[in-house]
Amino acid sequence: MLIFIVRRFIQMVPTFIGATMLAFLVSQLVPGDFLNRKALEPNVRPETIERMRSQFGLDKPIHVQYVRWMSNLVQGNLGQSFVSNQPVMARIARPMRNSMYLAITAIIMLWLVSIPAGVYSAVRQYSLGDQVVSVFAYFGLAIPNFFFAQVLILCLFLLRSFTRDNLGWNEMLLPVAGLTSSGFDRMTPWQQFKDMAVHLILPSFVVATSGMAGFTRVLRGQMVEYLGSDFIRTARAKGIGQRGVTYKHALRPAIIPFVAGIGGLLPSLVGGAGLVEVVMSYPGITPAFLDALNSQDIYVVLGLLVITTILLMVGNLISDLLLAAVDPRIRYG
Amino acid sequence: MTDRDELDPNQSATGQELEHPDEHYAGEATQRISKSQATIVWEQFRKHKAALVGGAILVVMYLCAAFAGFLAPYGINEYRRSPVAAFRPPTTVHWIDPETGRLTRPFVYDVREERDPVTRQRIYVEDTSVMYPIKFFVHRPSQPYKILGIFKTDVKLFGVDDPARIFLWGTNNLGKDVFSRVMFGGQVSLTIGILAVWVTLFLGLLMGGLAGFYGGFVDDLIMRLVEVIAAIPGLFLLIVLASLLRDPRNPIAQAIGLEMTSAQTFLMTVVVLGFVGWGGLARVIRGLILSARELDYAAAAKALGASETRVLWRHLLPSTASYVIVDLTLTIPGFILAETGLSFLGLGPSEVDTSSWGLLLRDATARGVSIQFVPWLLIPGIPIFLAVLCWNLLGDGLRDAFDPKKRR
Repeated sequence: MLIFIVRRFIQMVPTFIGATMLAFLVSQLVPGDFLNRKALEPNVRPETIERMRSQFGLDKPIHVQYVRWMSNLVQGNLGQSFVSNQPVMARIARPMRNSMYLAITAIIMLWLVSIPAGVYSAVRQYSLGDQVVSVFAYFGLAIPNFFFAQVLILCLFLLRSFTRDNLGWNEMLLPVAGLTSSGFDRMTPWQQFKDMAVHLILPSFVVATSGMAGFTRVLRGQMVEYLGSDFIRTARAKGIGQRGVTYKHALRPAIIPFVAGIGGLLPSLVGGAGLVEVVMSYPGITPAFLDALNSQDIYVVLGLLVITTILLMVGNLISDLLLAAVDPRIRYG
Repeated sequence: MTDRDELDPNQSATGQELEHPDEHYAGEATQRISKSQATIVWEQFRKHKAALVGGAILVVMYLCAAFAGFLAPYGINEYRRSPVAAFRPPTTVHWIDPETGRLTRPFVYDVREERDPVTRQRIYVEDTSVMYPIKFFVHRPSQPYKILGIFKTDVKLFGVDDPARIFLWGTNNLGKDVFSRVMFGGQVSLTIGILAVWVTLFLGLLMGGLAGFYGGFVDDLIMRLVEVIAAIPGLFLLIVLASLLRDPRNPIAQAIGLEMTSAQTFLMTVVVLGFVGWGGLARVIRGLILSARELDYAAAAKALGASETRVLWRHLLPSTASYVIVDLTLTIPGFILAETGLSFLGLGPSEVDTSSWGLLLRDATARGVSIQFVPWLLIPGIPIFLAVLCWNLLGDGLRDAFDPKKRR
């Protein structure tokens, strides 16, 4: 196992170098750069621009810039942000943390709903409940995340006008934007936690819905296959009841791919929520990425690309290891 | 010489084909014994009701996109300067004549804009003095278009006389008709997935084929490239590539001399989507080709004297066809979602004289728009949902139809 891990790590190095090179190359395609734009501002002196240019090494050829950036990266330094003049690390830490909150909530929701739903529709195949689940699965698969978020926001607004007109409540049931309310800094920790939790419900629900579709369908397929296999018949013949057969014998092997999939969740922990964050003005990683791109803050763009790439690769590695750990049929040597 | 010619002497030698020694008979015989693959797949597919419904809806949607100019009462960017009909709610179509109280041909009223005295909200009041019947097959010389890009005409399916206007699904912040723009938007959003899939297919077959065929260094290089592209999170890669390439000052556009017109940003989006998506297909194709030499029928074909290229094209790639068809059908909805997402961020095909469903949804997030007052701006999301749903149903139906284990 140890040899396998070491080998996988060594294999990851060229891929990682390739990915950073691609990211760096793409970022160099940016027409003009931040400093060209800054030079147009009347109150900026040409000397300042020249100083910044040599400070960032932008006057050097591209491969020198890459080597310089890479050697900084290896030391854990992602460079400086042009716009806010602070280290890239400091700038992207908060959006990454926020996206992580969102993804963790979404994943918990996903598991809580999908596993029972998948098991149910496999056990009661072709029943009404199974068909309802499968309709919802298609629904989640087909509806674009950002559109679903917009629809839910609209529903909450309509609900508010309904309750205002009929019951006199002029409050939104759930907050529809951001992660915190105003005055967050003055709250006690418990209030802060509650405030964030309430803000997380809607976006994480939207993110979870899109994941539920695939998850439930695959789990159902796996369960159906295992429930029809010989060892289940043997288990039934031994006198094990429906519950035991379903949960102990069929669900366990069926859930293996999902246990292994935990590693794949790592990148989605920071990058998955995507456009939902944009619609709901959630202070996460995607809006930060778009901002950096718009202001041509290339080191922030690169930093986000690299961090998410590292997470993706580490996640894949963890997946493989977990798969080997939980599935006795797989052995890496 | 075809395969069958080579086989004929053997069959004659067994004495089965003495009466009809021509190859025509051999073809008939196989048909009598078993149905062709296509027939079986079609019969299976026809039993899949959901897939049939999905396919039918898709046909309707693609027809709507093809005849958008005819169905849309207004032009893609048509709006009136005074009075600006911004944020008009959907026009009410009346069926009952107020004088006689009987059913009549559908008509609409002109709409006046007023301010609510209390809330200062914009409200629209129908001017019931004049009825404007909805006319069918009206000529609008100011809005000519080409049916299927060939026949020039100005006939619209329906319309009303000035000054009344008919906005079936309301208008956006500039007073453009949402219904018309959804019709035109389908032209972009529905075709982009299909075009991008061809890019994926081309790159996947080429790269996978090269990797599997030549092996060694080429194989290593291509497979590392696939891994590198897969290592960068897809959404971010899409966003970066799209936002860089749609700028006319980018080096690639400068080199080829592109000015990033609407058509060029459209093609650019197609290429970006295809580029991000080809890795998986290339991997599978490579694997299939590598395993090919082990397979009996490939060895048999080779023993009969077939060249390596012939084995590849006649025997190996066709055997991947069912996988490729299903995979690509299920890739299209993903591309549709990706395109609408990019357009939603303003990174898709440019806004100048095209429209896209994602771009239309972007109107609902414009500054100063609160969605509860303009819910009709969300209508363009429904065709996205329908298109993606139906492509998925179709793909699942095809997969089941191709799968021998799921024969019914």
